[in-house]
Amino acid sequence: MLELSIKGRSFGQPVLGEVFTSVERGDRICLLGPSGVGKTTLLNAIAGLDTSIPADAVTGRDQVRVGYLFQEHRLLPWRSLLANLKLVGATEQDATRLLSEVGLTGYEAYLPDQLSLGMARRAALARCLAVKPDLLLLDEPFASLDPVMAKDLKMLISGLMDNYPDMAMICVTHDSQDASTLANRLWYLDGKPATLKWDDAIGDSFVVDGLLAKLREPEAAVI
Amino acid sequence: MPAGARPPVWSYWIVLPSFVLLWAMVAQLLETALLPSPQSVLNRFLEEANSGQLWHHLGATLGRVVVAFTLAMLLGAVIGLAMGRSALINALFDPLLLLLLNLPALVTIILMYVWFGLVEVAAVMAVVINKVPNVAVTVREGARSLDYRLEQMATVYCFTAWQRYRDVWLPQLFPYLMAATRGGLALIWKIVLVVELLGRSNGVGFQLHMAFQVFDVAAILAYSLAFIAMVQLIELGVLQPLERRSSRWRQPEPAHA
Repeated sequence: MLELSIKGRSFGQPVLGEVFTSVERGDRICLLGPSGVGKTTLLNAIAGLDTSIPADAVTGRDQVRVGYLFQEHRLLPWRSLLANLKLVGATEQDATRLLSEVGLTGYEAYLPDQLSLGMARRAALARCLAVKPDLLLLDEPFASLDPVMAKDLKMLISGLMDNYPDMAMICVTHDSQDASTLANRLWYLDGKPATLKWDDAIGDSFVVDGLLAKLREPEAAVI
Repeated sequence: MPAGARPPVWSYWIVLPSFVLLWAMVAQLLETALLPSPQSVLNRFLEEANSGQLWHHLGATLGRVVVAFTLAMLLGAVIGLAMGRSALINALFDPLLLLLLNLPALVTIILMYVWFGLVEVAAVMAVVINKVPNVAVTVREGARSLDYRLEQMATVYCFTAWQRYRDVWLPQLFPYLMAATRGGLALIWKIVLVVELLGRSNGVGFQLHMAFQVFDVAAILAYSLAFIAMVQLIELGVLQPLERRSSRWRQPEPAHA
């Protein structure tokens, strides 16, 4: 679906090295790596938001509709939830249905800043789905949520991925637990400049923690 | 009450009548045509209003203000937006802006009249040239502070140019446009009067000029009061409702965070 041949991004922080890989339909990728290594930078590059990376570094993006769940909700604060969804092209009917899918029935007329963090994030997730995405980019979707809310959202995303089996997902996270529950493929980004130190499928019995312990620098170098 | 807040309504009902009373007493004491009493100013006001003169001249002034204001806001917003978004355009226009900002209004008015004659276009153009730099500077500030996060969002979700202007930029620029409007109106009212005084044959400025030549202070005050009333009416009837309407989405604080 997507071919990545990123030749690097040398100026600005963080620095990205060469990233050659591809994303296929149905891929559920967890992107792990130390904080500040460039996970969001890579996500922005895939979404076409990084102007320092040439457009031809990601082939196939023109045919791929992207839904991006940013760390902040980035809904328009002066528009209701329903209007926010309609702005990206959803019909009134679809918007109402999507809001109910993320558990926000009754909140259609609310403004984003009237919601709690967890609710706003779910509303932003509904907007991602409103564009009928082929690729879902999630940037730390569970950060700063309390454990119960994080678990709910995890169940929600996992259910959505089952409902839309053709959709691919790339989810940035810190938590190796998320990788085992959500993903069928793991990217591990590390180093300076940052490259993919690991890019492979993960099975049910796969022990992500054990792998991470090996991959982590500089420990990996010592062994 | 914080020092910057609007004073309560009662203060207007005490301070302004006291002022009128003081004025009446001084006028009574001096008994000179150079300081007419409030009563004679009011009479003069009614006289002008009944004869239709007042409306004719007030209307002429209002028309010039509306045309000049609209042109200045449109031009200034476009220039300011372009300067705020592009470093190259900013580099090209900034020195010019500096020049125009420091050019006295009177100079523009005189030059316009000298070059184009005592015509309506010259009058309006003089006002526009005076106002555009202020609007551009204010809107440029707004354009620079546009949230890049919402820009990225709009890019990812393929907003059309029109959606981007109307739904992403305009609400963020609104406080700046409002500031430019307020500052702009205050400035334009005053410049229009000077323009009329120097080269037009109608409008409040022209009437003030005529009254000045015969030292008709009652007429000067009557027209000034009518003018103040018109400015306040626009403030209360147009600007404040507009501001309330557009800041409704701002939450004092998250409802339940």
